[in-house]
Amino acid sequence: MPSVLPPVLSVQNLSVSMRGSNGFVPVLENLSFDVAEGKTMALVGESGCGKSMTALAIMRLLPEDFIVTSGSIMLDGGDVLAATPAQLRGLRGNKMSMIFQEPMTALNPLYTVGDQIGEVLRQHRKLGRRDATEQAINFLRAVQIPAAEKRVHAYPHQLSGGMRQRVMIAMALACRPKLLIADEPTTALDVTVQAQIFDLLSQLQDETETSIVLITHDLGAVAELADDVAVLYAGRCIEKGTSHEVISHARHPYTRGLMACVPHLQLGPATRNTQLELEEIPGMVPPLGARGPDCAFLPRCASAGDVCRTQPQPPLESVEAHAAVSCWRHREIAP
Amino acid sequence: MTSIDTPALPRDASTLPSRPAISPTLVALRQFCRSPSGVAGAAVLLILVLTTVFGPHFYGIDPLDLVDAPFTPPGEDAWLGTDYLGRDILAGLIHGGRATLTVGGVAAIITIAIGVTIGSLSGFFGGVIDTALVKITEFFQILPPLLFAMVLVTLFGQTLTTVTIAIGVVSWPTAARLTRAEFLRLRNLDFVKASRAAGAGNGHLILRVVLPNALPPIIVSATMAIGVAILFEGGLSFLGLGDPNTMSWGLMIGQNRNYVLDGWWTVIFPGAAIFVAVLAISLIGDGINDAINPRLRKRG
Repeated sequence: MPSVLPPVLSVQNLSVSMRGSNGFVPVLENLSFDVAEGKTMALVGESGCGKSMTALAIMRLLPEDFIVTSGSIMLDGGDVLAATPAQLRGLRGNKMSMIFQEPMTALNPLYTVGDQIGEVLRQHRKLGRRDATEQAINFLRAVQIPAAEKRVHAYPHQLSGGMRQRVMIAMALACRPKLLIADEPTTALDVTVQAQIFDLLSQLQDETETSIVLITHDLGAVAELADDVAVLYAGRCIEKGTSHEVISHARHPYTRGLMACVPHLQLGPATRNTQLELEEIPGMVPPLGARGPDCAFLPRCASAGDVCRTQPQPPLESVEAHAAVSCWRHREIAP
Repeated sequence: MTSIDTPALPRDASTLPSRPAISPTLVALRQFCRSPSGVAGAAVLLILVLTTVFGPHFYGIDPLDLVDAPFTPPGEDAWLGTDYLGRDILAGLIHGGRATLTVGGVAAIITIAIGVTIGSLSGFFGGVIDTALVKITEFFQILPPLLFAMVLVTLFGQTLTTVTIAIGVVSWPTAARLTRAEFLRLRNLDFVKASRAAGAGNGHLILRVVLPNALPPIIVSATMAIGVAILFEGGLSFLGLGDPNTMSWGLMIGQNRNYVLDGWWTVIFPGAAIFVAVLAISLIGDGINDAINPRLRKRG
């Protein structure tokens, strides 16, 4: 995608493997995507498709036994994979930061939220304790926590899940990072709070020009927040493009299946006779190590043909200016 | 796709419940004060400490002076009697308590310092470092502690300092294993990952993030370590390996052990002192344990 500015985050041909008892097992294969400044990239897929591994690889926080086998990750012109531990500490929380899935456990129970937000500022901005607390109050206001000057002295157990996630967002954005990775930021929250958090994220993004990598399986959130989407299946990117293009004109049978799984509210007399049954994708994601060169979605695919069984999975093929898909039969499936 | 209108949150602070934030340490302290045995233990220990600190100023008899005939029974001449050389038992208790309690406290600090350092490095880093440190811990753990301490004291001289260090050096493996287990449990929790993702280095993660959360069981074990060290000092002195120039409760029992049948008071009083001190420390340990273990916590 040609753009005037170089992308804030550029992931090229990223592959991650797990060191198993029988050698290396691929977890993520040849993933490439760019995120421009102030844009949101959504990574979509079922559990076990490698979304979180991508996030952890970018943060260089992969668990032991997981290694990046090839590819490059460039953040704001710097090579993340070549960074020394000291450089990494300078990047994390400062140029790139991360919001975790579970706000109930992602805050240290022994420190007040003000201390925890302030800690980030004291480390990266070398603020004093008093300045850091003052800044923390401002950030709590920015994430719309009422009575911020009181809440700054609250311990995490005194806050609700939504409040804690707001605190996490405040911590993550405290140093105005170039890149924010949100790993299913609303999965643990109830629906109305989810909407508030998404509103808050997009509002803060407008103010700070932060690029966001949003990991989610909520296609509603993708439609609302994301500029671009990459659909992952079994560690491979099988479709990507602008979120409008992918959502309105899904080409890969897996993406189409995901869309069909979203319940739609239907009202009026016209729907009275139609059958309101929610579709599902039969089967499950093949486990690690059971992924061959052929299309990983083949066993679950309703539109598979002979070409799918005899040929390995095709590379991503650009089908339009802003969309690419990895499927042999996408022209027949979605003309 | 649908979008949900989210009404602005109330900005009026007065509508919010205004409960003051209480630190977890303060909560535990309050809980401790509700435990009768913990408070009783703390009171007894406080009395013992005050007696040994200020007692010598009020009871001016030197514990090494021969003040009366040997084996004077408790009475007007000597309140708690005299020992086989004619030394005052009460003076011995008051002065000896200083040495005994100091040895207990300092040995416990050494135990915890070595144990927590080894255990936290081992549990936090895992891998090769963990394997190596666990092997070292196991090596120290399989040595019989009393024999090992006796060897150390014999090698480096019978002084109070040697005894203290020896006790610390033989008893740290328990603390190390406990700390390692806590670190293993905590190091993969979300808030540790989140701290790392916010740019915290290993030193910060160990000292400021994981260690404070691992402290509760370590504090309990440190308290218990004081009691164990006092008993240990008594045991070494009983075997004649204490510091012969410094009066301590263990030394009193050790030097009078051949005369138990001639004068029971020479051994019973220092023995009771050790018993009371260790009991008080155990009660405090239990009280702390109850206070910081939420499953045992009484609501109210």
